[in-house]
Amino acid sequence: MNAPDADAPLVERVKQGDVKAFEMLVVKYQRRIERLIGRMVRDVDLVPDIAQETFIRAYRALPQFRGDSAFYTWLYRIAVNTAKKSLMELKRDPLVTESARASRDEDDDNPRVENEPSDAATPDAVLASKQIASAVNFAVEALSEDLRQAITLREIEGLSYEEIAELMNCPIGTVRSRIFRAREAIAARLRPLLDTRDGDRW
Amino acid sequence: MAIDGFDDAARERLSALADGQLDSAAVAASCAAFHRDPQLRADWHAWHLIGDVLRSEDLASDPRHDRAFGAQLRSRLSAEPVVLAPAASTSDLSARAPSERGRRGRWTAAGAVAAGVVMVVGTFALVRPDASPPAARIARAEIPAATVVSAPGPAPAADVQPVAIVAGSQLIRDAQLERYLEAHKQFAGTSALGVPSAFLRSATVDSAAR
Repeated sequence: MNAPDADAPLVERVKQGDVKAFEMLVVKYQRRIERLIGRMVRDVDLVPDIAQETFIRAYRALPQFRGDSAFYTWLYRIAVNTAKKSLMELKRDPLVTESARASRDEDDDNPRVENEPSDAATPDAVLASKQIASAVNFAVEALSEDLRQAITLREIEGLSYEEIAELMNCPIGTVRSRIFRAREAIAARLRPLLDTRDGDRW
Repeated sequence: MAIDGFDDAARERLSALADGQLDSAAVAASCAAFHRDPQLRADWHAWHLIGDVLRSEDLASDPRHDRAFGAQLRSRLSAEPVVLAPAASTSDLSARAPSERGRRGRWTAAGAVAAGVVMVVGTFALVRPDASPPAARIARAEIPAATVVSAPGPAPAADVQPVAIVAGSQLIRDAQLERYLEAHKQFAGTSALGVPSAFLRSATVDSAAR
């Protein structure tokens, strides 16, 4: 997609001191960044830590981000560099290995701290993500043709509202509302899976 | 789930922001709404999760993990100094921002060049103590000219002028320069600045270390 970077408005907000705008970018990219790091680092326990470090570094470096590339391209590069650096530190200091961390956890009688990322590879987590995936697919199938086409052109093809309006032969405002309604409909099906029992909220 | 019409409008704007299709005036309001409203934060997460899953099923993730990740990052961010890049000025100023930025940039550049000239001339006076009286005279002659080039600010001249004071053929370093050298340690330890010391010193340090 050669359209202007969809993240540019949020990046601008961050540069003006809006930390929440940066959190919005984190929520958007956390899964992709963790998958990327997961491909580079075998120890699944380290992935969230390196992803955290990536976002903190990106936040610090953001004033230097000039928008020559898309924000995600820039973030991707930071993630790769952060992962490489962690791997090198791991070689130098092999104490921080998976087994060391595991045994430390066993010694600890207390349950994990509430806001510590849970292990991405627990059977629970795997099941939860499978349920999410099938719920999304099911919900998309259930959409009306107009809504499904709009959300697909946006999310999968990466087209702009203008391009979608042209393809679907309707005003841009209609595209905007169709995409919103499609998201609403899919999210409604996901809600039972997304709602939290433990009461912590976004 | 339409709670009321107003609420839906705010959510539709957030949806447009997710696609980068919200005009800049509305972006700030939408970010503020995100800040206030937990429902909007939950929507934002759900919509992006949906987009990720549509693109690639292996991006489906446990929402509890996402939430924990977000919570941890928020607490780390709260310890960070707030990022501010004033050059990227506010969106409502964006129409006139480029010209303003350009002008500021040009003055900054002129100032930097002038400071550079003063610096070079000053250094020249310093590194050649044997020739210092004439060199110093040149330096003093040059500085006002350089200041005229940098024009608008009268300040630099007063600040930079006493780079070196030459008494007879003796070289006396001023306090400001001392502080500068203190901060830039590669020159520290060279009591005699009369020689191009940085290079010599690194050689002696190397040989001493061996």
